Amino acid sequence: MPNRDSQHAIGNGGGVSPQPPEPAVLDQRFDGNGLYALRAAVSAHAAMSGAPDHVVEDVVVIANELASNAVRHGGGNGRLLMWRNATAVHCRVIDRGPGMSTAPTTVGTHRAPPRAPGGRGLWIVRQLSHNLDVATGPEGTTVTATVLLDNVQA
Amino acid sequence: MTTPTQVDALRDGDHACLTFSDAEERLDIVAAFVRDGLGQGHQVVCLTESLPPDRLSAELAWRAVPTEDCLRRGQLAVRTSDESWLAGGTLTAAKMIDLLAAQVEAARRDGYRGLRVTADMCWATRPVIAVDQLLVFEREAGRLFADGWLTAICQYDRQSFDPVTLAFATRAHPRAVAAIVYHEDPVLRICRQHSPPGIRLAGEIDFMRADVLDQALAETLRLDHHPQVNLSDLQFIDAAAAATIVRAAQSLPPDRRMTLVCRGVVQRMLALVGADDVPAVRLQVAHAEP
Repeated sequence: MPNRDSQHAIGNGGGVSPQPPEPAVLDQRFDGNGLYALRAAVSAHAAMSGAPDHVVEDVVVIANELASNAVRHGGGNGRLLMWRNATAVHCRVIDRGPGMSTAPTTVGTHRAPPRAPGGRGLWIVRQLSHNLDVATGPEGTTVTATVLLDNVQA
Repeated sequence: MTTPTQVDALRDGDHACLTFSDAEERLDIVAAFVRDGLGQGHQVVCLTESLPPDRLSAELAWRAVPTEDCLRRGQLAVRTSDESWLAGGTLTAAKMIDLLAAQVEAARRDGYRGLRVTADMCWATRPVIAVDQLLVFEREAGRLFADGWLTAICQYDRQSFDPVTLAFATRAHPRAVAAIVYHEDPVLRICRQHSPPGIRLAGEIDFMRADVLDQALAETLRLDHHPQVNLSDLQFIDAAAAATIVRAAQSLPPDRRMTLVCRGVVQRMLALVGADDVPAVRLQVAHAEP
């Protein structure tokens, strides 16, 4: 059931503010027709920030799945913020949709069977990221994924 | 201009023009033309220019043409333009027609049921060769095809020829071959693949185009017993589109299979949505760019 009362957050993120702790290397709004441009921008800016190729590839997949969720379930558009620090690349997608109907602690923790029409985006994001923060409520959803850089202990 | 036909609808005696800008599409159509000719007991001669003969042979073998056997017994020949058209210096239209007529006679003598020739025409853009001789040839060659013994596809790379020459060459051919394109926009192209039969995707795909992918998959499932879904030129696929492909494979009865040709992030995404768990799926890692 949708939780209409409060914002939920999991992981070690605690309360999630829309602004990243580091200067964003990318801050881009998108809708369904802008996903191709969003992927290109994420790829270019992640590479320019010095992330290795396989991290760039993971971040592009993560950004695309989070943005797709915002387009399909989160009101049709959203905003993506990406930043990096010494250990990781972080990708945050914010939408103003009606919020998730599944508890944020369990959403995407199981792989949807191929016959299921949807519900695999967050599962894939969980597979590729080191940490996932989900904050969702009637005002919208903010999801932040963290991808560690090579050979770095969190 | 003639309406383009599919390569598997060509008839003996056709003299067809293939204008292309996509290397995969050209090789697919050439492979289907060679495969069908070999299967019908024709001798097949491939004149190549942009790829050396051994590379073209490897590309044909990759596309399910029984290349090695047919090369060994002489039913298939793969040569450069220098070894054929251009051997012995200056080329004229009359000399090209004589060369082809001699090749037809040799094939007849050797007991073949026909001769198929496919030629990459980009040699004609070299500075020493007059394109006008090529155009005369394409116009005069008609009589060679009259008895249905010779069938040919002339390949014109749109990036090598100027538009005027291309337009003339297209008009000089009674037929044109092209792939069926299911979908094309600046980001994604989905077309029919002839050899091996199936569909080919190039560019990037996400859930916004899952409906056109679904339609193309439905068509290949209807037409092909063991369809190949060639994703080797696909740079990106999202989870929804990957699941669309896996669902199609899952719908196959136990005696059928679907081969997915892929690499890199596309290969990883297919694995993430569960392609490895579907018995009908055969994963084939794509080779390097042609």
